[in-house]
Amino acid sequence: METASTCIMNGLVTSAMYILVSLGFALLLSIMGIFNFAHGAIYMVGGFVTYGFSVALGINPWASFVLSIIVMGLFGLFLEKFCFRPFMGNANSMMIMSIALIFILETGANIWLGGWTRALPSFIPGVLKAGFFSVTWERFLTLIIGAVLLVLMTLLINKTTIGQQMLAVAQDKTGAALQGININRTAAFATALACMMACVAGTLMAALLSLNPYMGDSILNKAIEVVILSGIGSIGGVFFGGLIIGFLNAVLPVFISSALSETIVLVIIMVILLIRPKGLFGYELF
Amino acid sequence: MLLDVKGLSKHFGGLQAVNQVDMSINSGQIVGLIGPNGAGKTTIFNLLTGFIKPTSGKVFFNDNEITAKSPHIIAARGIGRTFQLTPLFTEFTTLQNVVASYYLHPKSGFLDIFFNTPRYLRNETYAMEQSIEILKLVGLSKVKDELARNLPHGYQKMLGIARALAVKPKLLLLDEPLGGLNTDEITFTLDILVKLRKQGITVLIIEHNMQILGYCDHVVAINFGQKICDGSAEEVRKNPEVIKAYLGEQHAA
Amino acid sequence: MLKNPFVTGRNKTVYIYVGLVIVLLLFPLVVSSTFYIHILILSFIYVIAAGSLRLISTSGQISMGHAGFMGIGAYVSIYLSKFLGVSPWISMAIAALITLIIALIVGIPFARLRGIYFTMITLFFGLGALSIEQLFSDYTGGYSGIAGIPALFSTDSKIPYYYFFLILVTVCLIIMFRLEHSRIGQTWKAVAQSYSVASSIGINELQQRVLVFAIGCAFAGLAGAGLAHYSLVLSQSNFNLLASMYLIVYVLVGGIASFAGPIIGTAILVMIPEMSRSLKDYVPLLFAAIMLIVLFTMPKGLAGLPAQVKGWFHRKNKGNTPKEVINNAS
Repeated sequence: METASTCIMNGLVTSAMYILVSLGFALLLSIMGIFNFAHGAIYMVGGFVTYGFSVALGINPWASFVLSIIVMGLFGLFLEKFCFRPFMGNANSMMIMSIALIFILETGANIWLGGWTRALPSFIPGVLKAGFFSVTWERFLTLIIGAVLLVLMTLLINKTTIGQQMLAVAQDKTGAALQGININRTAAFATALACMMACVAGTLMAALLSLNPYMGDSILNKAIEVVILSGIGSIGGVFFGGLIIGFLNAVLPVFISSALSETIVLVIIMVILLIRPKGLFGYELF
Repeated sequence: MLLDVKGLSKHFGGLQAVNQVDMSINSGQIVGLIGPNGAGKTTIFNLLTGFIKPTSGKVFFNDNEITAKSPHIIAARGIGRTFQLTPLFTEFTTLQNVVASYYLHPKSGFLDIFFNTPRYLRNETYAMEQSIEILKLVGLSKVKDELARNLPHGYQKMLGIARALAVKPKLLLLDEPLGGLNTDEITFTLDILVKLRKQGITVLIIEHNMQILGYCDHVVAINFGQKICDGSAEEVRKNPEVIKAYLGEQHAA
Repeated sequence: MLKNPFVTGRNKTVYIYVGLVIVLLLFPLVVSSTFYIHILILSFIYVIAAGSLRLISTSGQISMGHAGFMGIGAYVSIYLSKFLGVSPWISMAIAALITLIIALIVGIPFARLRGIYFTMITLFFGLGALSIEQLFSDYTGGYSGIAGIPALFSTDSKIPYYYFFLILVTVCLIIMFRLEHSRIGQTWKAVAQSYSVASSIGINELQQRVLVFAIGCAFAGLAGAGLAHYSLVLSQSNFNLLASMYLIVYVLVGGIASFAGPIIGTAILVMIPEMSRSLKDYVPLLFAAIMLIVLFTMPKGLAGLPAQVKGWFHRKNKGNTPKEVINNAS
């Protein structure tokens, strides 16, 4: 019983984090056509920035969290204007740019803090117990924050103007421009949003696990898996894809080795792709 | 009968783009496919040449069914086409565009090409010579080494036709060949169409410009995806449905 | 006599390549440092990989899983030679063939995707292939890697390897050059520019894209197997996503539009991590710096630099405006 509830909890937490990162990644892909290799690194930087504020500068952890979200949001604006916008439409240049970014961010983090892992102190220590159900407050908090954020994201995309504009640009850039939507502003907003979400996920995961300069690599892999599984061009599908991948990654290692579970997830996706390359919810874009 | 189209239909979701179109084209004719914007003319072209699969209906070319076959197969059967948008290989020169289009005739085998055999060299020389001839025909000889994307609009249209001729088509589908051309260029193009007909190539043209009616042996008028008239240029010109489609209700009476 | 634009003729650049090969042939006689010999051998191997990656890109497809195919070639060859006792020479050839077959099989569904999505799928395949290979850790060494790979030559000296890989890369490059500068390559370039127009002249664009993808991946498999039987020690870091990214960087920095691009890019960038062992941590930063410099100042990559410099002096190199075209023609 405890294993089942732990599994579900872990699955939900992992899914939430994956969705946060993948959503940003999918937005960047659909809106700007950029395959942001550096997205995992941004996730990692989010955690490091929080670490910098809270541990290195001694600021209250919650304040650090908020500060780093703001910083990462600004970083997103910077990225869009100076790194992505000049190369819109040129896939090769975008690729060089995002690969250069990942080198810079990861090496920077590595040089600053060294390759050994650091610990980010938990936001809430202690364990929550409710009957047979027992989970650390930290994990529970992660889930709550993650879930709340995702609900906010959904509302943002569906109910606000800017959210709908993002969706419009993601689906048809030319059409959206003809409707008078300011593509640059939408792209800037989306990039800032993506960075902020990645920052939240990075900080929470750093608090749950630990911090190291290369933790973004595996997250990038997961984001790619989620986006490929959910489908080409689909934003909403990321929720389902993230849930599936998140649960698989959280639950399978309980029963089989983690290397095997990684492989099984990859093989499942590959098989789906061989039959249906556009993914579960994707649509033909060409 | 060269081209026989029966009951061609295509819908996209709820939208009926092409509805039960019948058409017959005999060889040696210039046939016009006219209709207002959005009537479905280019969609019909795409259906005929395999770029879109029809929802229903059949297409026969030289009594062989070509419905829903892939574009490259239809090209091999002898149907060439031009495109309204992005009609060229933009990074190739004018000459390269036409030489490249000599892919099917003559077809060199992989090994021939790789080992630069005499047969390959012969084929390539042939393609070169033919390309120069075609460029002369369409008046592009002087710009043969220009990059295609640097050509002015009118030249690009002519290059599109030149390219399509390399397929040695029995049937040539032209999508708005007169679009954006000035008067001289229009006359020039129309003369070329007549020359092509003399050479035995059948031409099916999509056009807005009513000037082609004078050159067409046979005209098919389309509106809202449906055929509204089919006959000689005179009949179509006078047909009230056609007039209504182009000019509106009040002119029909 | 008019020159057919697609038939390879006497090309001035061919003389440069021949000269380069001669210099390289003589190099070990003049320089005895094993360090430089080693760097050159690695360059030869990675030029095969980078060159074939660029070959695939002539059809408009960018593969982000190229290192993954190197891995397939490597691990197949290792399995055949180390565990089945096949001679490494034969296992290398078989490995390249098997990589070709696998690339053909997966290339068909992959080719249904275009542009960035094709890149994503190949990236993903690279991840998947590596993951599957690590499962069979008995044969691949799993995460920590494998050692004791049978060598191509029984001597410790690197010289035989040097000449072998020099000959191998020359042959591979000749094949790639011939493919690209003939009607075959021109068909691929046509497909890259417009699927519609290419189809309308009878090109089966799906088939052609799968073909070039398979050929390119076969070269990658060959390079991977070569790497295995030279280094004798391998780990997953040779064939992971980062490795694929490095290959892309070699090609893009060198210049994706030119045949010499991957050669130049690989030669320069392969050298850097090897030369600066002490500054190992800073190597990615150096890469990033080079990439950004090339990105912002050299649109055609390093290989395009001579033409770019020439262009500063002659307006003609930038191509004519339509008005100029008409003026020239009358």
